[in-house]
Amino acid sequence: MREFNQWFGEQGWRPQAFQKECWKAYDQGKNGMLHAPTGSGKTYALWGGIMQEAFQSKKHPNGVQALWLTPLRALAVEIQQATQRMTKDLIPDLQIALRTGDTSQSERAKQKRKPSFGLVTTPESLHVLLSTKDHQKQFQHLKVVVVDEWHELLGTKRGVQVELALAYLRSFLPNLKVWGISATLGNKGLAREILLGPTENYTTVNAEINKKIKVKSILPKNMESFPWRGHLGIHLLPQVLKLVQKNKTTLIFTNTRAQCEIWFHRLLDADPNLAGNMAMHHGSIDKKIRLWVEEALREESLKVVVCTSSLDLGVDFSPVENCVQIGSPKGVGRFIQRAGRSGHRPKAGSAIHFLPTHAMELIESVALQRGIEQQQIEDRIPYLNAYDVVLQFLMTLAVGSGFHPKKILPIIQSTFCFQTLDNERWQWMINFLVKGSQSLEHYDEYKKVTVLEDGSLKVLNKGIAMRHRLSMGTIVSDANLKVRYQKGGYLGTVEEWFVAKLKPGDVFTFSGRNLELIRMHNMEVIVRKSKSKKSRIPAWMGGRMSFSAHLSDLLKKALFDQRNQDTPEFKALAPVFRQQLKESIIPKPYQFLIERFKTKEGFHTVFYPFEGYAIHEALASLMAYRISLMSPITFSMSFNDYGFELLSDQAFSKEDFLDNNLLTLDYLHEDLEKSINISEMARRRFRDIAVISGLVFQGFPNKPIKAKHLQSGSQLFYDVFKDYEPDNLLYQQALEETFDHGMERGRMTQVFENIQEQNIVWRDCSQPTPFSFPLITDRIRSKLSSESVEDRIKKMYLQLEKVGQ
Amino acid sequence: MKRIQINENHFDLHPSGALYWVEKKTLMLADVHLGKVAHFRKNGIAVPRKAEGAFYEKITLLLNEFEVERILFLGDLFHSFQNNEWHLFSAWVKQQQSELILIEGNHDVIPAWKFQQLGITVTPDFKEDAFHFSHFPSEKGENFVFCGHVHPGVKLEGAGLQQLKMPCFFQSQNQLILPAFGAFTGLHILHPKEGDRIYVTSGKEVVEIDKN
Repeated sequence: MREFNQWFGEQGWRPQAFQKECWKAYDQGKNGMLHAPTGSGKTYALWGGIMQEAFQSKKHPNGVQALWLTPLRALAVEIQQATQRMTKDLIPDLQIALRTGDTSQSERAKQKRKPSFGLVTTPESLHVLLSTKDHQKQFQHLKVVVVDEWHELLGTKRGVQVELALAYLRSFLPNLKVWGISATLGNKGLAREILLGPTENYTTVNAEINKKIKVKSILPKNMESFPWRGHLGIHLLPQVLKLVQKNKTTLIFTNTRAQCEIWFHRLLDADPNLAGNMAMHHGSIDKKIRLWVEEALREESLKVVVCTSSLDLGVDFSPVENCVQIGSPKGVGRFIQRAGRSGHRPKAGSAIHFLPTHAMELIESVALQRGIEQQQIEDRIPYLNAYDVVLQFLMTLAVGSGFHPKKILPIIQSTFCFQTLDNERWQWMINFLVKGSQSLEHYDEYKKVTVLEDGSLKVLNKGIAMRHRLSMGTIVSDANLKVRYQKGGYLGTVEEWFVAKLKPGDVFTFSGRNLELIRMHNMEVIVRKSKSKKSRIPAWMGGRMSFSAHLSDLLKKALFDQRNQDTPEFKALAPVFRQQLKESIIPKPYQFLIERFKTKEGFHTVFYPFEGYAIHEALASLMAYRISLMSPITFSMSFNDYGFELLSDQAFSKEDFLDNNLLTLDYLHEDLEKSINISEMARRRFRDIAVISGLVFQGFPNKPIKAKHLQSGSQLFYDVFKDYEPDNLLYQQALEETFDHGMERGRMTQVFENIQEQNIVWRDCSQPTPFSFPLITDRIRSKLSSESVEDRIKKMYLQLEKVGQ
Repeated sequence: MKRIQINENHFDLHPSGALYWVEKKTLMLADVHLGKVAHFRKNGIAVPRKAEGAFYEKITLLLNEFEVERILFLGDLFHSFQNNEWHLFSAWVKQQQSELILIEGNHDVIPAWKFQQLGITVTPDFKEDAFHFSHFPSEKGENFVFCGHVHPGVKLEGAGLQQLKMPCFFQSQNQLILPAFGAFTGLHILHPKEGDRIYVTSGKEVVEIDKN
């Protein structure tokens, strides 16, 4: 302890109470969970304990003793530097290494020859380490695993990866300590149980740091011209520019990479003086450029950085004074995280400006402010029975040392995710790996995992092993292509489907530059700089996020609570509300509003339950399904956080809808299941599952390897399973995930109970209302039909290719 | 089914994706991709085996429906290297009365002599009367071309923002591209120009589509 106090003193710091508490608990050999926000000194709270333990042993064996898992590569770099700094001063002999997807082959080989005391890595890279033959020997001296930002991993399939890795490590390291670091969650207890397992030997430490967060909406001077829809918010650029000029450093958060590119350009156009003082940061930009931006932020040499969630986490940017959020952050947790980027020093306050991109988002701004006042972060719903992840994990073991099914099953069952895994489904999975989920027939040549004489399962085929190693990891993305200049110089990656739309000579905007496509070659996009003003902006698929249930609750309260009428946001909204009231209403808590109007696109029926995106997606399918039972009809559906829209070429009647009581609680679950099957909501879920479980092999942009005749899309697999093998567990998983994660099964009944208490208000309008506008203009849609394909085809037509396209 | 006329000859567009040349009693199939499921399975990717069986059922129905003297495969008959699917295929070939011709496609990596041993004629392309038959589209020569390779599909639009992607027979000025006959093959969406004629197939019906 003395050494630490001294070391802290040398840094000009004083150990905080929660840090001392952690050191003490660690010294007592406990597992634990530390709840602390980023920038509070949480890294040293745990690394201190680890150092103290290291002090006590005179000799250090050749092997990793402390493993630190982080969700982001950028964060891993940060942690490695911080821990190395402390270690160098206290025990200079010990090294801390970094191992992520960016780590070079030679560095990996070096780490294997001469393992360091500490290793900072990501869940994916840890699994890569477990795929080596001698991993048990490599980790034999491991004493502790720290899982950083656990709230970011929990509720994702990467969280399941962590669960599996920890259960597996514990199986041969009975004395392994596990510590988690997490933001304060609603379901704290569950978060701890999932990470630490069923142990009684644990401590929970709360860092009581109440950072003050100030939220201010950026309001237009004139509300009459404020758009009813949109997602760019460019009309408020002058106000943002003023904020940028006023502050030393500003971070501008956008929700999508496309938005990020556009804002970067428009800011530069508006104030050319910013050239050289501004930068962009998103996940598709080359690592070197990203690291440079992060470094420049720390050195206070940048005036403004436009970024996406790639800068959300942990990374410490103390000099940032000011944050701007463009559009809805889709969750209180994320908003607090982003606000936390400013004033990033212990106890310093944070400020964030919220820029609504359309009128309805002003209500959201009020909701966010209320959420922050209550210091609530959404619960994270952990995955159950993620068969795709466990199949990947079994393959990981099978390409390395192999595994015994009887020995590995209890280890898997000890995780939260697979606690209910029974023998039948386990047999299915083993059968999937060994026989391709069929019964054995002479004719079949299925080959993946082989049963050896001693009963262990192993991959013998080199091609299969190699493909598995290349596709490990649960984060799924479209095939990415490298973007580079003809003369050399790597700019980043762009998703394949975007480039596929371009022809040589086309100009697109990337990484803040206008680039002309020369050609595509070997998974690379070759470009040159262009002076053309007109260009296309790539969109990235990951762009769409769902609203959290928690925020939708706050949203309803914000709209209904009379006290909010005096906020600047609601005052600004007055003209929009006046327009809404001309033909419709602003629903009260006891009213369920349905609007109907006709445009040249067809008949729009818009419902406003205010229950959040996920619930609305399921509700839209359910309503479309129930209506489609009355007579053959085809719907195109859109949804947002306020409501959903059913669009059809024929109008179903108000009387039929009301008389048949289509909002009933009866047969809710049966109908939901059928509507999920028909509307194919599960199709999108299956995309991830197909990649994670190894059905779809993507290859890697920087390792373009040949997979001759083995390429196939997940959609094709979905169809084949649906038609020929509907009891396939991976197909079933897609349906179950839609229930559990898409719509939060339990909440749906509650929503319907609420609706039973409400009065249905059906309004026929002559034109779209302001509330409906973001919905009817949304082009990302689902469909549901009870007409035959042939009948539908006969009503449809072809869009001819336009000249010059 | 839909009957069309080209150069005074008649052709039936069948909902299965097959094309029947009435005057010559010839059945044409493009992109069957036999053994694709087996190839995936052999490489550790568990596609349900049943997905492969569809070919023999479909072609038996066609042979009952039409009077066939000759079957013309417009390339990509097999998806990849030889695997057990070959045995099923040879057994089927031995039962056939018709003449069998394979126009080689880019996926046809099984050596030609193996097909020839079964009595199948293998050729890079094929000409008869004023018609040219090939795997790849090539709208150059004077003759009307029948081909495959593309797995053509189109995107349909309708009122109420409806959209649908469907496989089709794609007819342009001097060429007709057949849809892929094989199951588990996927679609490539084409964008028709003025003058192109599109016959969408749902598996049950063939429908000519209007342009907007």
